[in-house]
Amino acid sequence: MGTENPGHPNFPMRPPPGPFASAPPTMTPFSSSRPTPPIPPPPITSVPPAGGPYQQFPTSPFPSTAQSPPIRAPPEGQPPFQPRASQVSASSVSFPPQSQVPPVPMGSSPQSVIFSPSGVNVPQPPTGSLFPGPRPNIRPTFSPPDSSYSATKSTFQPPFPGYPSKKPAVSQAPSPFPAQQGSFMPPPPASSSPFSSQQGSYAPPPPVAAPLGYQSRGQMQHPSSAPPIGGIQSLTEDFSSLSLASLPGSIDPGCDHRTLPRPLDGDEEPSSFTEMYPMNCNPRYLRLTTSGIPSSQSLASRWHLTLGAVVCPLAEDPEGEEVPVINYISTGIIRCRRCRSYVNPYVTFTDAGRKWRCNICALLNDVPGDYFANLDATGRRIDLDQRPELLKGSVEFVAPTDYMNRPPMPPLYFFLIDVSLSAVRSGMIGSSLAQPQMMVISDLDDIFVPLPDDLLVNLSESRNVVETFLDSLPSMFQDNVNVESAFGPAVKAAFMVMSQLGGKLLIFQNTLPSLGVGRLKLRGDDLRAYGTDKEHLLRLPEGSFYKQMAADLTKYQIGVNVYAFSDKYTDIASLGTLAKYTGGQVYYYPNFQSSIHGEKLRHELVRDLTRETAWEAVMRIRCGKGIRCTSYHGNFMLKSTDLLALPTVDCDKAYAVQLSLEETLLTTQTVYLQAVLLYPLSGYTASCGERRIRVHTAAAPVVTDLGEMYRQADTGAIFSLFCRLAIEKTLTNKLEDARNSLQLRIVKALREYRNLYAVQHRLGSRMIYPDSLKFLCSYGLALSKSVPLKGGYADAQLDERCGAGFTMMALPVKRLLKLLYPSLIRIDEYLLKPSAQTDDFKNIMKRLPLVAESLDSRGLYLYDDGFRFVIWFGRMLSPDVAKNLLGADFAAELSKVQSLVNEAILVATRLLNRILLNMLFLFCWFLCISERLRPFLSALRHDEVVLNSPGSFMFPTQVILSEHDNEMSRRLMRILKKLRESDPSYYQLPYLVRQGEQPKEGLLLLVNLLEDQMGGTSGYVDWIMQIHRQVQQNT
Amino acid sequence: MAWDLIFWVVCFFINIALLASSFYQLLSLSDLEADHLNPFEASTRINSIVLPEFLLQGFLCISFLLTWHWFMFLFTLPIAAYHLMLYLNRKHLLDVTEIFRDLNTEKKYRFIKLAVYLLLFTVVGCRLLSASIFFFFAWKFEELDIRTSLFY
Repeated sequence: MGTENPGHPNFPMRPPPGPFASAPPTMTPFSSSRPTPPIPPPPITSVPPAGGPYQQFPTSPFPSTAQSPPIRAPPEGQPPFQPRASQVSASSVSFPPQSQVPPVPMGSSPQSVIFSPSGVNVPQPPTGSLFPGPRPNIRPTFSPPDSSYSATKSTFQPPFPGYPSKKPAVSQAPSPFPAQQGSFMPPPPASSSPFSSQQGSYAPPPPVAAPLGYQSRGQMQHPSSAPPIGGIQSLTEDFSSLSLASLPGSIDPGCDHRTLPRPLDGDEEPSSFTEMYPMNCNPRYLRLTTSGIPSSQSLASRWHLTLGAVVCPLAEDPEGEEVPVINYISTGIIRCRRCRSYVNPYVTFTDAGRKWRCNICALLNDVPGDYFANLDATGRRIDLDQRPELLKGSVEFVAPTDYMNRPPMPPLYFFLIDVSLSAVRSGMIGSSLAQPQMMVISDLDDIFVPLPDDLLVNLSESRNVVETFLDSLPSMFQDNVNVESAFGPAVKAAFMVMSQLGGKLLIFQNTLPSLGVGRLKLRGDDLRAYGTDKEHLLRLPEGSFYKQMAADLTKYQIGVNVYAFSDKYTDIASLGTLAKYTGGQVYYYPNFQSSIHGEKLRHELVRDLTRETAWEAVMRIRCGKGIRCTSYHGNFMLKSTDLLALPTVDCDKAYAVQLSLEETLLTTQTVYLQAVLLYPLSGYTASCGERRIRVHTAAAPVVTDLGEMYRQADTGAIFSLFCRLAIEKTLTNKLEDARNSLQLRIVKALREYRNLYAVQHRLGSRMIYPDSLKFLCSYGLALSKSVPLKGGYADAQLDERCGAGFTMMALPVKRLLKLLYPSLIRIDEYLLKPSAQTDDFKNIMKRLPLVAESLDSRGLYLYDDGFRFVIWFGRMLSPDVAKNLLGADFAAELSKVQSLVNEAILVATRLLNRILLNMLFLFCWFLCISERLRPFLSALRHDEVVLNSPGSFMFPTQVILSEHDNEMSRRLMRILKKLRESDPSYYQLPYLVRQGEQPKEGLLLLVNLLEDQMGGTSGYVDWIMQIHRQVQQNT
Repeated sequence: MAWDLIFWVVCFFINIALLASSFYQLLSLSDLEADHLNPFEASTRINSIVLPEFLLQGFLCISFLLTWHWFMFLFTLPIAAYHLMLYLNRKHLLDVTEIFRDLNTEKKYRFIKLAVYLLLFTVVGCRLLSASIFFFFAWKFEELDIRTSLFY
């Protein structure tokens, strides 16, 4: 942030984070006198050594003046001095090691104390002790790189003692150090605390004693008021805070939006989870909302963030971290007799290796003869290192045949394509003869020819051998002008055909089903329904046909993926139900134009067909004694109280589960969770036909302290669960209720947390939250502004809402967070950089806060929410850039509105639409004859980019551009490619927007700048204030 | 005389049918909970007898009204009205996809219904008993007609 707004005089208004109320008396006197005299000396002494290095960094200009301005945190929210702590780093601000020197001089002149140039506003508290400050500073330097983050974090913490109460006094201080950019600014009287407490807000509980020097980061410290070191350490805080008091005389609502915590780093996987129990499965498979399981029901009831877990059983493994496969067919898989859980790293062997104790239900089991191994002196099995299942939290067993009802079936893809309709978009209405069409694709050669006649009356001519059918299909429907769609009968027919084998049914639907069973009414998006009790009915499937059909499909192991294209109302709520209960997914392409979205559809279809898929899987989550899974959320259907039926499951699906305590008091120290996915392997791999059992085991400590639960919280998992709960709530309640209950949960959680500390510390008007939940508010805001929940009637089309809802119910944590808080990066600097050095993507991937202020009209910005790119051209952007990126022609077009082109493209679109369909058929055809899909599919991938040239939003004209022959264009492509590779599950289609181009700019980008206040929704600052106000009520 | 007795006998058997149906539904739900039954089968079983039960119950209610048994009519009316409401809202059938989520409320609803049917059963049993007694009394001692004073 600092770099972006260098010139902003930014006064952090918040008081120091630390609620230390000691030493008040001393403060007051200093407040007025403090600035000038004492301060200058220390900086001067310290500055010289550090001055040189600092100036190298534009972002951290340290004036050599007396005051060393504290550096603002870099956008990522990392403490500026982080680099120092973790050696030199290339990141935005680096502090040379010398910077640690400053404290030393200060120490020697205790009187002057105070601001160390290291920018951290380090208060040097120690009176009289020469080096206390520096030493601690140094400590972080040696911390191993990987721990640098935590080490630095811990430094932020503790605000200075006595600080909070002092606020007013401080504000008087003439020499505030503006936290912003280094430049030293005189604080306006209004600013209560010169040092932004931003850093402070990130303070995690310091596991290690916080280094002295950093203790009061963000604080101004007066020497004389400084408490003894020991005191400081003991006062170390374990929460972060934001000051939200409105300040006298300031127009600002009371807090500086720049200092608010934002998830600009994306998702952070909880580290404590795996650190404490290194044998746990990787968090990408299983994450708990808090790694501290409450020991009693009363404690659990005070944890308002829901106790639960998010499981992504088939998450993609990075290269080299594959889940080990273990074959115990001969000996049988070792499982507990009573609870049927699988052997895992946490079982204990006793009785010289003859018995093992189940960690989940504590039953003592016999070790079968084949599995026996002696124990060594420490009680470990001597063959431990050859037993991956005893070492790793995630393993895959090869299952014997009796684990499944039937042998694995060949993968079956069934394409159900709506041809009746506007696929051709002719807009003409002809006579109506429903023509549900079907295609059967199997990678076996046997084809299901016989179909019950009565079901498929319309298909009578098509029931031939599929090859001929496929050949003729495109031509058959080329001139089809039918607008009716007999969706229901078609699905039924597909079901009949597929019921023998199961498989995946891909439905391409373009109109509202209008014929036969399952026809839907145009119940539409009725404005009048919003805000009434009937509102949620629109989001529920109509009638019982779709639910019943979904249940039947699941029963016969058929997974459904729905691809919906229509520009008109298609009732995704009903269609999506098929996907929801069969473990499938809904792809929704509003206003589909093959020329525009064809690329996206192709990539996503390819992904759908090629990603590793488990068929007819079942999943069960077993919990240790005392806790129980109460409800499951996601796209699946329950087969029994705790068994999830997943006709198809792949790496892009995650499931959330809520846990509850069964007993009033947990007696164990640790709780174990075991997620087991049983599936037959089929598809393209060599081991086709095997059954596999994937077991993920995790342990979590039982804690008796609510504060510990908060400390171990995992924002990502919490929001994954919240999101699902909120979306489910919209199915039974009004949107507003869903948003309110979300807000209420956040408020309750923060209030409970506040109550934990309100007694010990004087919190004043500050808002406190644990470091682990620093993004609670920002994601909460993002979630309530997400498509399924936002606004009312006008803010999102009903289909869009439902489509997004179905999608978000299945998204893994990382992608969900990306969607909630998308990244906005500025790319023009990178594109224009002369150096050929192109690999440092890290540097350019500096995410900006989602506020309109982040957009500079001279820049080129890329917005990426994981589903699409929006490239925003600033008004003042040099024309060369546009020309280079788009080619001369399009650059010219970019600057004018062209209706003629619209016309031309409209015509082209019709043709292309057909081509797209043909492509699909061809595609299926290939599937038919070849089992080896991958080479073919990879050949399908182009590096083309579809660029949306300006036009009306409803009918965006597009140009397909390949890379231009210049460096800039290549770089842009490289960025896009890189971003796409980072998340292959969806294809991000780039949209081009020019600044000020309405209404497109608003619809595509501005509405997504979720921190801005817009159309009746609150901005980030307001939201925080609102939450804070509610937290303070009734405390 | 004889009609009265026949009426109560019919009511008695209808009541037994209602009890059986409720009990069977509860049993199916418990089986489902205990994983002895899969949701598809459980919902098919239960849904197949929901409508007959509604019709039977409605018939009982109306026949009480038509035979001018005010007390019995009012006794059966709430359930009949509730059934009607469920039916009109299309919520009378179990939703197989969300059956586990609704399990507890469905069970509670059927427990209450079972209790009401049991109560009804005792009342109908008494009426049947009295009707049969009077039938026989009337037949044996026609002059002794204390029925009105006792039961009406």
